[in-house]
Amino acid sequence: MSKLLIDVGSTYFKISSDDGVEQQFRDFSKTIFDDLTSKFGDTINKYNKESVHICSSANGGLSTLIIGLTNSFSLKYAKNIAFNSGINIIDTVLYHHIDKSAVPGDLLDVVIVVGGIDSVGGIYDDKLFKYLEKLSYSNIVYVGSQKDAQYLSKNIESLVVLENIITDKLKMKEEALKEYLTNLYQQDIVGKEDIKHLYELTSNQIYSTPYIVNQSLPYVDARHEVINPFIVVDIGGATTDIHYSRDLSRENMLSESEYDRLVFKKLGVYKSKESLIFAAKNNEFVYELLNYLNVTENILEQTDEKALRVLMQLSIFLVLCKVSTHNSMYITLNLHLLKSIVLTGGITKVLSFEEVESIVQFFYKKILHTTAIPTILLDSNYDIWTLGMNAIEDKRIENVN
Amino acid sequence: MKVVTGVVGNDIHVVANRLIDISLQARGFEVFNLGVNTHLEEFIDAAVESDADIILISSLNGEAEGWCRDLQFLRAEYALKNVVFVIGGNLSVGEAKDEDIVPKYESYGFDLVFHQVDLNTGLDKLEEFLGKRS
Ligand code: B12
Repeated sequence: MSKLLIDVGSTYFKISSDDGVEQQFRDFSKTIFDDLTSKFGDTINKYNKESVHICSSANGGLSTLIIGLTNSFSLKYAKNIAFNSGINIIDTVLYHHIDKSAVPGDLLDVVIVVGGIDSVGGIYDDKLFKYLEKLSYSNIVYVGSQKDAQYLSKNIESLVVLENIITDKLKMKEEALKEYLTNLYQQDIVGKEDIKHLYELTSNQIYSTPYIVNQSLPYVDARHEVINPFIVVDIGGATTDIHYSRDLSRENMLSESEYDRLVFKKLGVYKSKESLIFAAKNNEFVYELLNYLNVTENILEQTDEKALRVLMQLSIFLVLCKVSTHNSMYITLNLHLLKSIVLTGGITKVLSFEEVESIVQFFYKKILHTTAIPTILLDSNYDIWTLGMNAIEDKRIENVN
Repeated sequence: MKVVTGVVGNDIHVVANRLIDISLQARGFEVFNLGVNTHLEEFIDAAVESDADIILISSLNGEAEGWCRDLQFLRAEYALKNVVFVIGGNLSVGEAKDEDIVPKYESYGFDLVFHQVDLNTGLDKLEEFLGKRS
């Protein structure tokens, strides 16, 4: 039976039907439902609700604040799990700095408290409760040492206690927290008025887009053009996502899944254009790169098609820089080992293969000092997204049978 | 007692690390082995998360000095007063004398320094040190 797949992004819609894939910019003066039906109504009407599958990243995702004991373990593991559960907006507080830490003013969807292996007790004290009093949040979950669980439960209202994400050998154990966060995310999508309305078009569950991409990765790996280890770079309107094979990071994070996700919050070519330009201007190689592309820095102030292309090329370069050097982000990828780069998202509709290739060549030569580059694939037909949507549908059918 | 161990910096010599893990366990320690390529901050963080008593760093390629200068600073940051800091292996590039190396590493904040000292001799000294302290 043929299917209609719809992705609601922060900047544009895309739909995949028997006639192929189409995309259109969103009109923010309308609700998602009205905008979608006015643009694609004719196509949507051809399908019954069972055959329509929708995913969305338009709600921006959940916001979380993580309070942890150290950067290398509690905070790193919790961030990793949160990203993999589809969460985009993350703030962190190191527990021993908590009395000096800023208190975010916005309502947080979930606060995560973590630290210590199970045999360690007496980690937390009044400082934690005082800080939490100043915060506003909808959910709070504890995934640290079980020895402190009771004490925290007594002092923190509605605290959800889950299995420690740090094992007795200091490795990461992600399942319990991941399931909890994925469910929260799912409830959040369903709860958003704008998204709720979309259930008039489909009788299937609406998923988050990063979750869909994550599900497709084993299938991407199985395709012969893609050689492991690979990364999938999804440069969107508001954020940029990287999904990568775990083989590329040398972290001590043992777990079931083979792929991790990283999110760069303010690196998008539309909604986050300003901060992308700011990041570019602060990168020491960017002027050389602009020169290499035969343009001047004035191009960054312009809004035409040419400027957009340059901006997209810059964002590829910046993202590769960000994951290749050891910086305050929590993960460094070994790009010397990388065999394939798969680009997906709106960028593949704008840039040509040669334009992407020249940027990757520049990056490898300048930063990694080598002329050998990984194979590049442009997912211009949104195969990844289609694979992911179909993978979920297959799983569902399997579960029913 | 709990010991955090590993090989500091961009050092991939793994053989001694495995031996250290086994020997410490044989002597009754609970071992948290961070393996090769471990940054100083990760040792400290591991001790905080596990409430360890000892951090035992090994370095074979001679680059430890550059990686351990910040020890005092990091140690103060987390108020790790009672943790014993031990380092051993090849603690300098090429030939070097004990009387130069030991004071230097002590000034960085190490309690015990074993430059090109056999593992079992070093661990005997560690146990002796712990015995005296308690
Ligand atoms: C095997 C080896 C390698 C292998 C490592 C494979 C692996 N994954 O483990 C390879 C080929 C990859 C390698 C690479 C390099 N190596 Co190499 N390597 C050796 C070699 C030949 C043996 C090391 C070994 O495994 N020994 C067996 C173990 C059991 O002994 P050990 O490591 O000495 O450890 C004992 C003691 O040191 C002690 N100990 C260790 N830690 C601690 C801690 C405490 C607290 C205590 C008490 C004791 C202790 O206990 C152990 C048992 O007694 C030594 C030379 C040698 N013969 O020692 C050089 C040697 C260590 N390498 C050396 C160098 C320079 C390198 C390179 C920089 C070479 C290069 N230019 O590329 C690279 C560095 C790579 C990196 N990023 O770290 C130098 C270091 C020189 C220095 N410090 O002055 C050595 C000494 C060779 C030399 N004479 O020049 N190396």
